[in-house]
Amino acid sequence: MLSRRFSMPEVQARTGDLKFNPFWALYIREMKRFLKVIFQTVFTPLINASLYLLIFGLSLGKSIHLANGLSYLAFLIPGLVMMSVLNNAFQNSSSSIVSGKFAGDLEDLKVVPLSSNQIIWALSIAGLCRGLFVGLITFLVGEIFYFIVENNLLTIANPLVLLFFLIAGGLIFAQLGITVAFWAKSFDQVSAVGSFILVPLIYLGGVFFSLNGLHPFWQNISKFNPVLYLINGVRYGLLGRCDVDINLAFVVCLATLILFFILAMRALKYGNFTRW
Amino acid sequence: MNLSPIEITNLVKKYGDVTAVADVSFQMNPGEILGLLGPNGAGKTSIISTIVTLEKPTSGQVCVFGHDVSKEPRLTKSLTGFVPQELMHHGYFDVEEILEFHSGYFGRLKNKEHIDYLLKRLGLWEHKNKKVKQLSGGMKRRLLIAKALVHEPALLLLDEPTAGVDIELRESLWDFVLELKAKGLSILLTTHYLEEAEQLCDRVGILQKGELKVLGPTQTLIKDLTQREIVMSFKEAAPEIVSHFLKEKKADSLVFSVPAKMSIGELLSSLKIDLVNLKDVQIHEGSLEDAIKKVLHA
Repeated sequence: MLSRRFSMPEVQARTGDLKFNPFWALYIREMKRFLKVIFQTVFTPLINASLYLLIFGLSLGKSIHLANGLSYLAFLIPGLVMMSVLNNAFQNSSSSIVSGKFAGDLEDLKVVPLSSNQIIWALSIAGLCRGLFVGLITFLVGEIFYFIVENNLLTIANPLVLLFFLIAGGLIFAQLGITVAFWAKSFDQVSAVGSFILVPLIYLGGVFFSLNGLHPFWQNISKFNPVLYLINGVRYGLLGRCDVDINLAFVVCLATLILFFILAMRALKYGNFTRW
Repeated sequence: MNLSPIEITNLVKKYGDVTAVADVSFQMNPGEILGLLGPNGAGKTSIISTIVTLEKPTSGQVCVFGHDVSKEPRLTKSLTGFVPQELMHHGYFDVEEILEFHSGYFGRLKNKEHIDYLLKRLGLWEHKNKKVKQLSGGMKRRLLIAKALVHEPALLLLDEPTAGVDIELRESLWDFVLELKAKGLSILLTTHYLEEAEQLCDRVGILQKGELKVLGPTQTLIKDLTQREIVMSFKEAAPEIVSHFLKEKKADSLVFSVPAKMSIGELLSSLKIDLVNLKDVQIHEGSLEDAIKKVLHA
């Protein structure tokens, strides 16, 4: 019979390593969750990206001439890759939490010895993985389209820069998904954030158009959109050119990552785990 | 030092203007089954929710094996298994996967042997590859119990574990709970089934509107708070008797209501009845239900 005070090492000897194992268990759960519905989570976004490439890249792209001499298709591919990463990272973490609230099993995370840090990083790295997976497929499809049009392949100009912005962007949007979903009290609230805030930010962040093509007034407004720097960071990594100062993009990206991590921590502390 | 598995001191839990738990204090003894009873809204689930940190106390302190759940939640959660009142679904995962993940949350990534034991002991082995939505209500309930035990906790919290479960399964779960107690687990139980509390609990606490009205050993409470009903049948007409224990007089029988502690001998000697005329004596002992009614209607 157990009837005395336990120290943390004694507890870990009874149960198991609490430093890494709980995080790993949740991360594996999240990965399996999206892989179990791979048609919905990976192939649907892939179809969307293919349609964008077909309509904007191939059809309309022929009549669009950019000032910097890039083909519109080459300009579009990094934007679509980052859009896939951001959307999927957000959707993975937010849908996991929201469906957990609906099914009631989100409360499990509250009654087990998972720390807030472990929950945030397990959910956001899993979201990032899904984002990178869809982003990679989008890139490969983009390469096929590019090869058809240009009879050539896009080569990655700055792989490390590309990787930094993809990872940072995926983590930011996964942590945004965590924040929104923990605060949300209904499905509507999550989808409203997606439709009314994220989609406009992404679409106006320079996926489809160059900042230089905008009226100076809208150029200045766009500079307050952090997604602009994420997308242009990826464009710089892939093409070696972008519309913003890449150093500023690094700073904005890191600052946004720190901000959204803090917001996610607060959401876990003050948001709710209870079922709807 | 013999530490209490649960020690609650002046716990208050408010939801807006509603006080769900009003200044409740109690201690659990190591290795006992303690039952919390009371009508809906009495505060049973709120108390359990504060122990597992699903809810924060408005004031007061909750300790598990001497550790404050607000200050050392990961440690107290590692020692605690929790079976919630409501069933849950778990979406895309099957029974075995759910237990593997849950075990991992407690730091046990490789726990197949114990998971297999729980699956077999709780009759889920044949269903281990099914999704939760394919399980019956009773199976879902057993899955919740398996989840709570997957890390071999020292303290088990059962929030109405047999709600909506058929009689056969309920009795098999009772056996399992007693088996866990024999292994040294301390168990806190809330239930609406008073028969369950009477059979399982070493002590019970009765809650009403957030207040702990009474707490004590189950049999002692029954004895202290209930009356025995004694029916005496006579060969001829029932004699004329004057006694404040007399509850009802019929043509050939008398019904007495006496304190549970009072023996039949004490009653008979106080009545001075002619025993030759006495045909039969039937005794109906008070139940936990009677004890609860007395507390709640006091």
